[in-house]
Amino acid sequence: MELINYNDEELFQPGHVACAGCVEALSMRVILNTVGRDAVATVSPSCGAVICGAYPFSATKIPVFHTTLESGAASASGIKRALLSQGKPDTTVLCLAGDGGTYDIGLQALSSAAERNEDILYICFDNEGYMNTGGQKSSSTPLAAVTGSTPAGKTTRKKNLIEILAAHRIPLIATASPSHLNDMAAKVEKAKALRGTKVIIVLIPCLPGWGVADNAAVKTARLAVESGVFPLFEVEDGVHYTLNTEQRTQSVNSYLAQQGRYRHLSAEQVEQIQADVDAEWQRLLWCAAGR
Amino acid sequence: MEAKNYPSNRLLLSGNHAVAWGVKLVCPDVAPVYPITPQTPILEKITEFQSQGELDMELLTPESEHSAMAACISASATGARVFTATSSQGLLLMHELLHYACGARAPIVMFNVNRTPASPWGFWPDQLDSLAQRDTGWIQLYSETPQESLDTVIQAYRIAEAVGLPTMISHDAFYVSHSMEPVEVPSQDLVREFLPRFEPRYRLDTELGQSFGAPIDQATWNRSRRDIAAAMALVADAVTAAGEAWGELTSRAYGPLEQYRMEEAEVVIVTMGSMSGTAREAVDAMRERGEAVGLLKVRLFRPLPAEALRQALAGVSCALVLDRNYSPGMGGILHQEIKSALFAMSGAPRLHGLLAGIGGVNVSAEKIQQLVDDCREVEPSVEAQWVE
Amino acid sequence: MQQPPSPLWTNASSRTRLTGTWRSAMPEYQDKPSPCRGACPVAGRIAEWVRQIELGDYYGAWLTLVDNNPFPAVAGRICHHPCEGACNRQQLDETVGICSLERFVGDMALAEGWCFPEPAAAQDQSVAIVGGGPAGLSAAYQLRRRGYRVVLFEERGQLGGLLRHGIPAYRLDKTILDGEIQRIIDLGVEVRLQSGIADAGALRALHAEYDALYLATGASRPKTLPELDYEQPWVQDGADFLAATNAGEACELGQRLVVIGGGSAAMDVARTARRLGRSVSVLALEPDALLPAQPIEVAEAREEGIEFITGAMLQAVESLGDGLKLQCVRVDFQQGETRGTFSVEPVSGSGFVLSADAVVPAIGQDADLARWDGLLDSDGPVVRTDAQWQTSRPGVFAGGDLASMDRFVTQAIGMGKMAAEAIARHADPLQPGAVAANGSEVPFAEINTDYHPLAGRLQPGNLEVEARLRTFDEVQHPLAQDEAIAEAARCFSCGTCIYCDNCYFYCPDMAIAKLEHGYDVKSDYCKGCGLCVAECPTGAISMGQE
Repeated sequence: MELINYNDEELFQPGHVACAGCVEALSMRVILNTVGRDAVATVSPSCGAVICGAYPFSATKIPVFHTTLESGAASASGIKRALLSQGKPDTTVLCLAGDGGTYDIGLQALSSAAERNEDILYICFDNEGYMNTGGQKSSSTPLAAVTGSTPAGKTTRKKNLIEILAAHRIPLIATASPSHLNDMAAKVEKAKALRGTKVIIVLIPCLPGWGVADNAAVKTARLAVESGVFPLFEVEDGVHYTLNTEQRTQSVNSYLAQQGRYRHLSAEQVEQIQADVDAEWQRLLWCAAGR
Repeated sequence: MEAKNYPSNRLLLSGNHAVAWGVKLVCPDVAPVYPITPQTPILEKITEFQSQGELDMELLTPESEHSAMAACISASATGARVFTATSSQGLLLMHELLHYACGARAPIVMFNVNRTPASPWGFWPDQLDSLAQRDTGWIQLYSETPQESLDTVIQAYRIAEAVGLPTMISHDAFYVSHSMEPVEVPSQDLVREFLPRFEPRYRLDTELGQSFGAPIDQATWNRSRRDIAAAMALVADAVTAAGEAWGELTSRAYGPLEQYRMEEAEVVIVTMGSMSGTAREAVDAMRERGEAVGLLKVRLFRPLPAEALRQALAGVSCALVLDRNYSPGMGGILHQEIKSALFAMSGAPRLHGLLAGIGGVNVSAEKIQQLVDDCREVEPSVEAQWVE
Repeated sequence: MQQPPSPLWTNASSRTRLTGTWRSAMPEYQDKPSPCRGACPVAGRIAEWVRQIELGDYYGAWLTLVDNNPFPAVAGRICHHPCEGACNRQQLDETVGICSLERFVGDMALAEGWCFPEPAAAQDQSVAIVGGGPAGLSAAYQLRRRGYRVVLFEERGQLGGLLRHGIPAYRLDKTILDGEIQRIIDLGVEVRLQSGIADAGALRALHAEYDALYLATGASRPKTLPELDYEQPWVQDGADFLAATNAGEACELGQRLVVIGGGSAAMDVARTARRLGRSVSVLALEPDALLPAQPIEVAEAREEGIEFITGAMLQAVESLGDGLKLQCVRVDFQQGETRGTFSVEPVSGSGFVLSADAVVPAIGQDADLARWDGLLDSDGPVVRTDAQWQTSRPGVFAGGDLASMDRFVTQAIGMGKMAAEAIARHADPLQPGAVAANGSEVPFAEINTDYHPLAGRLQPGNLEVEARLRTFDEVQHPLAQDEAIAEAARCFSCGTCIYCDNCYFYCPDMAIAKLEHGYDVKSDYCKGCGLCVAECPTGAISMGQE
């Protein structure tokens, strides 16, 4: 059995107000502790902002600047530039945002920061919807998922943000999952050592938003990885693909069946999603093989 | 007042380039800027200074004014001295973050070139863009000339940092932004003496570990507004202090208001920005004819120096407020502001609200004299009047 | 100038907020019993010692093993391993090869010459043990290590009982048995060989001399078939046959043997006879699927060329000049409710004849209760004992085949252990009883199999059939060290904390504290989500209600 091990310097503090069993809090714990003390973060309005702390308490030992929903990458850029002007080029600037603040309203600022190759580490906690506002669809919501604004299931696919970012040719884009904490920590370490814009998209199964039991978010995330719905991989310089999990060991249905938001699916819909996942997996294999 | 012994340099500069020279002298740490007509010469000039090594500054050119302001706020919160510039649509796009900057008590200095907001599209002098931001919690200063713009940029840092509020300076498109005049450019040493180092006690610093912007409860939000009010209450004095200190160094002193030939004036023209220059000509001409007419130039619009306005207008029988802006359904914004400032004042002047030069149409000195003549003996209407 | 009010910056730690108040249930570390332990006749801490093997702590594994069973090398060869039948892993792929792991550790201990830890300080009481088979030796070991004086009386000239006289060498090499027995003796057990307690008087006298007695004289009287004349030279009882061959005596029986019986003893007889060059048929009442022998024994017997005639019985034997004619008939076999009970109904018209030179019945043995002349109450064919393995005579305890119909070697070892614990409590009622494991056995559903990738069981190889028929060498090969580690790694460690830190690292609320050895739940912050329980690979944590 592979043992989990990441450094915990207690940079993420107990007493935060994430839901019981929330793996966004778990991911934040891994990421903040891996990045270390010499870091400043921005956080966009999201569950992450709530988790970071309500005044006057802070769950983080590093300074966090709460910014507006669409401004994550721009705010992080501002901090980085200020630190550069102060002769602190090595301080990591983290940009924490949800999928709404990344795929949707924050995409413009992120694209611009990526184009400028600002030296920031952008973490997208992707729970595939506006979960902090009660669960509405975002452009990250997958096909057929029920949300507060897609009560009959979303009729379009999830936006492929990774490919959009790859087109910016930034040093590193990676996916990470709270079911694979060593992989997550390794990616954060790697990103920390690189200069330029790094983006890590972390899949966050949302307990109330996805209809997942309090103790099942890690399991759900693991199934997402193992079914290929959310493959773990890296894209370096926009062109070099590396798959971190090379085998799919679960059916897509085993993943979908964990979640209330897919309870309504017909067998045909499951098949369609499986076919989509198969096709994307083949494309990734092709990319990883050097095209 | 005698200037201290610093050499200065007289250059022929447009208003926008005068702003850029002011920025160069301040040497902010970070400048996120996005281009927009007619602000662009400011961006281009500071970029030129920076690329030539004359301005050691992190220049950030994001995809929008919105991101520019976002970067300004966070950079300021990190302890950096920050500059940006914009105009019209850009300022309007920033609107959300203007509130945010004030809440963050970020002493950002922003230069705005007043331009008509679309639609329809226009590129003409009009102050609606900045006046529409009056509730965002920014200090607002209006400049009449390139020289004033340069001087005010430098003073604005001292003001903003003294009270912990963001500061916006505006000058009119083209009339000021693009018109050339000889400008005294002070020496770097003078500016260094004038402007202390920026060392905020609260900042994003890994050694301090403080965070900003976390959600707060009702009572704390209420308190944050009271804190802003307390800071706002300090602004007029800060503007005066900065203006006087600047005067000691340059012999060009400034204050929240400028009273021009107001001695024994029966009629006073109240206005802001480039219109003040034209009004100045009209006042000179009328004084020449022996008419007791003066000019009251509002330099500090936010916070509105109400007490100073009341004192300045005490004993004046008639005042004309010339607004180069129109708030639909309401009238001229400066007119409304002055009216409320003078509310319940005994012996207040009859106040005429005149919508003059909206959309950048020319208002000549002769026209202003005619307006004075038209209004002098007439009871003002409640609503502002459009000037033909 | 007057200073403006400070902006609202945040610098207090969220630690002040005690999110433990949200909780309705809190995780508890329980170290629950594994199903293998529940099934194990000696209640061995299997999950624990298998984990020790995985970690390369073989000595530790051996110490854990011998806490309950001083015969790991023996049991690792011949135990009927009900533990494997209970193993949760079979619901994922295949059971863990517990028995072969036990042999691995047992053999290593013998090879390395590991000794038992020194016995506890000497106690005042002394115990006499009657019978030097697995039950008696197990009881002797458990009592001696607790510091009691133990005197072991054995009727025969050597210790080991069934292990020595009943189990053939190809299943249990005698040097292994000698090694494990010697280690027990070396603890300071006094042994009296050739010293049977033959009658009630001798038993009374012995009881007068010792604080407690433990009777484990086994089942020495063969059951007999009325169809057979045991006086005939072509009939030899299976137990006698095995005892003689195990002692190295020559076999006098003819070439064609029919072995009657379907249990392990019958297999041992049949396979021993094959090794002695005989052709062998097994005649058993039970149909194939119900043969009481272990399936592996039957399979290996077939490999060795033994013919099986199952679901049939002997009706009569006709001795001719050149051999025997065995009149047989097919039967309808019905298993009874308790082990060893059954009914058979001959199927009319299904008679057939077997030709043979000799018949070896191996249909089981009974305890010899008659010798004590009613001094002890009996319960059918065995001595009656209470839950503490005490007979009707206070201070006299009994176990093994004398007191049970279970007839498994490890069952006997387990009974010896339990009796020893009972005797210790009898001697000193203040002595703490055995520590019971917490809670109920961990079901498969509580194992997070995500941490246990599919991996087939490593089956140790067997000696080739040709070689088996030439010698009495052990059939089953041992596991190599790397194989043992790999096989041990397959164990789920059901209910046993393996200190993997998953609970610590998966907690979103930093509510698990790592202690020197184990973990603590910080009740101030634990929100009761149960993620630690879900991600525990071994089911060692449960949610407790608050």
